[in-house]
Amino acid sequence: MLKSTPKLESTEKWEAQIRKGCLDLAILASLWKTRLYGLEILRVLEQNSRLVVAEGTVYPILSRLKEEGLLQSEWVEAEAGHPRKYYWLTAAGRLKIVSMAHLWKGFASSLNQLLVPVLNGKDDKGEPS
Amino acid sequence: MNLTHCIPMVDTYFAQLNAKLSDLPVERRQDFLRELRAHVLDRLEQVAAPTVDDCRNVLKALGAPDEIARQYRMEMILRTSSWRLSPFKVLRTTLRWTVAGVQGYLVFVVALIGYILSASFYICALLKPFFPKNVGFFVSDAGINFAQFPVQYGQEYLPNYFIPICIVMGYLATFGTTLLIRFLVRHLSQLRKKI
Repeated sequence: MLKSTPKLESTEKWEAQIRKGCLDLAILASLWKTRLYGLEILRVLEQNSRLVVAEGTVYPILSRLKEEGLLQSEWVEAEAGHPRKYYWLTAAGRLKIVSMAHLWKGFASSLNQLLVPVLNGKDDKGEPS
Repeated sequence: MNLTHCIPMVDTYFAQLNAKLSDLPVERRQDFLRELRAHVLDRLEQVAAPTVDDCRNVLKALGAPDEIARQYRMEMILRTSSWRLSPFKVLRTTLRWTVAGVQGYLVFVVALIGYILSASFYICALLKPFFPKNVGFFVSDAGINFAQFPVQYGQEYLPNYFIPICIVMGYLATFGTTLLIRFLVRHLSQLRKKI
């Protein structure tokens, strides 16, 4: 029986799931220092996390995070142009992102150790695969 | 900034999105649409003289109205605390999911049965003061009855506690059904992709 070759498509799907799963963490982290509106949050995500997502994806998530009490928001009139909806972390949001960050760091650190031989291209006996 | 070329396209886009989200509360929907419109204006402001193509690209980057509405609806059902979710809203939402295949149909049937059960308990509690002999927890050889018109034979149990028990059972059935729906939505991957 022929062994099926892993499809590139499945890796892309996995990557998309990883990105999606990280969005809550990344959005909350982007608001750690200051209040931002939607497009600014997207820019932070693109520049600092390489998380490129469909732009419309962020707004329903912001809405949910606000509903969960992790964010607060306010419409602010601009001196020139249109009003923008700014978001900032609530006290609960700050606690949550700190807890998520610690979990992420521990998890990533353990996983990185596991991946060292894979990235070095060696098998479990130290031989190149 | 001259948006003359863009306004019809943007308006059409938001009319479509508004229609897709028409079953959401007006205030919440308007706030969401206003925020997305501000996003579109922000993007267009980055271009000196936006053309129709620029406008099309901005809307494309934002995502199709269908996709945004799907995601917003999903977040709505997952984010609202179970005790705050109205059974009518859940039923209406799950009714829309019946077009999403077998799993959508299953979720709707679960919601329907759960909420009918819940409503039955509340109706029993309401009827008890008016029909004290007919409504109650009757146990006889024929089985268990909550209402019998006309009065039949059978032993009634806990007549004084019937109303509070029914109210509690009705509440638990509502809450339990909503929790179950959320659980199913989280775990039925095929459904999640389609709604």
